[in-house]
Amino acid sequence: MANTARSEFFNGIRDELPLQIGIIPFGLVFGILGLEAGLSMWQTIFMSSILFGGASQIVFTQLVATGTPAPVLIGSVSTINLRHILYSVSVAPYIRDLPLAWRILLGYLLTDEAYAVSIRRFQTQPASEFMHYHLLGTGITLWVTWQASTIIGVLAGTSIPEGWQLGFAVPLTFLAIIAPNIKMRSEIGAALVASLTAILLYDLPWNLWLMIAALTGITTGVILSYYEEERAS
Amino acid sequence: MIIWLCIILCGLFTFSMRFAPLSGLLPREMPDLWVRAMRFVPIAVLSAIITPAILIADGTMVPLTDNLRLPTAIAAALVAIWTRSVLLTLSFGMGCIWLFSWLAGG
Repeated sequence: MANTARSEFFNGIRDELPLQIGIIPFGLVFGILGLEAGLSMWQTIFMSSILFGGASQIVFTQLVATGTPAPVLIGSVSTINLRHILYSVSVAPYIRDLPLAWRILLGYLLTDEAYAVSIRRFQTQPASEFMHYHLLGTGITLWVTWQASTIIGVLAGTSIPEGWQLGFAVPLTFLAIIAPNIKMRSEIGAALVASLTAILLYDLPWNLWLMIAALTGITTGVILSYYEEERAS
Repeated sequence: MIIWLCIILCGLFTFSMRFAPLSGLLPREMPDLWVRAMRFVPIAVLSAIITPAILIADGTMVPLTDNLRLPTAIAAALVAIWTRSVLLTLSFGMGCIWLFSWLAGG
C-alpha cells in the first residue's frame, strides 16, 4: 500500500519519540544554564525557537556567562551549526523540488535528531510522494519537546539539584545515535580522529576545536573509504 | 539589547545554513568527493561533541581515576550497539552515573 501524507507524518512522529527522552533533560539543562548565565527568562525561551539548536544554545550560554564579545559569540555559535549545511545537502535530493514554503519550513526544522531519524527513512525505505511529511513529523515532534522542556527548565530554574547530572544526557543521546553506525574501519577512524582532535585543540579560541575536529574526522573517513574500496575490488 | 541581537543573528545564520542547500541556488549534482564526505559528517561532528563532554570538565581533563563518565559512556555505547535503542541507552547511562556517583560519594 502506498504511503499517505498522514502515514508518513505519523511514522515520523513515532520514529522520533524515543529520542525525546534525551531531549527533555537537554532542554531542562539549557533552561537552567540560560538563567544562570544571566539571560532573561524571555531571552532563554525565545532562543529555543529562534536558534533551535541544542548544542549551540548551550555554548551560547557558556560564552555569555564568561563575558565573550558579541562577534566571537556569533562566530562560535555559527561554527557549531555549520554542520547543518551538510545535513541539508544530504536531505536536499529528497526534498528540493518542493514549493518554497515547504523548503523554508523543513530547513528551519532540520536539526541533528530530526535529520538522523528522517535520513534513515529516506535512504532505507522506498521513495514516496509524501515522504517529506516524515521529516515534518520528526521536526515538529522535536520542536514541541524542545520548546516545552526549555520552558520547564526556565520555570524549575535552579531547584533541580546538580547531583542529577542532567548535562550528561546530552553526550549520551549523541552516543546512542552514532555508536550502532560505527562499523567500517573508515567510520572508526573518523570517530577516533575527530575525538582526539577535539581533545587536543579544546583550548583554541572561539570553540574552533569543534569545526576543526569535525573536518579532520571527515577527511580521515574519506581517505580510509578509498582504501576500503581498493581492497574490495 | 546586545543579547537579543546575538540571538537573532545566530538564528539567521543557523537558518541560512540549514536552508541554503534547499534554496535551489546551489548546483544539483554534488561531486563524488562531497557525497563521500557526507557519510562521515554525523559520526565526526557528534564524536567531537561527545568526547570532550566525557573527558573534560570545567576546561581541564578529568583524571582518569576520578572519571565516572568514561566507564559509563563505554558501557552505554555497548548497550547502544546491542539494543540500537536511544531510550534504553539513555536510561542505562543515567542509571549508571547516578549509581557510580552515589557509590563514590558514600
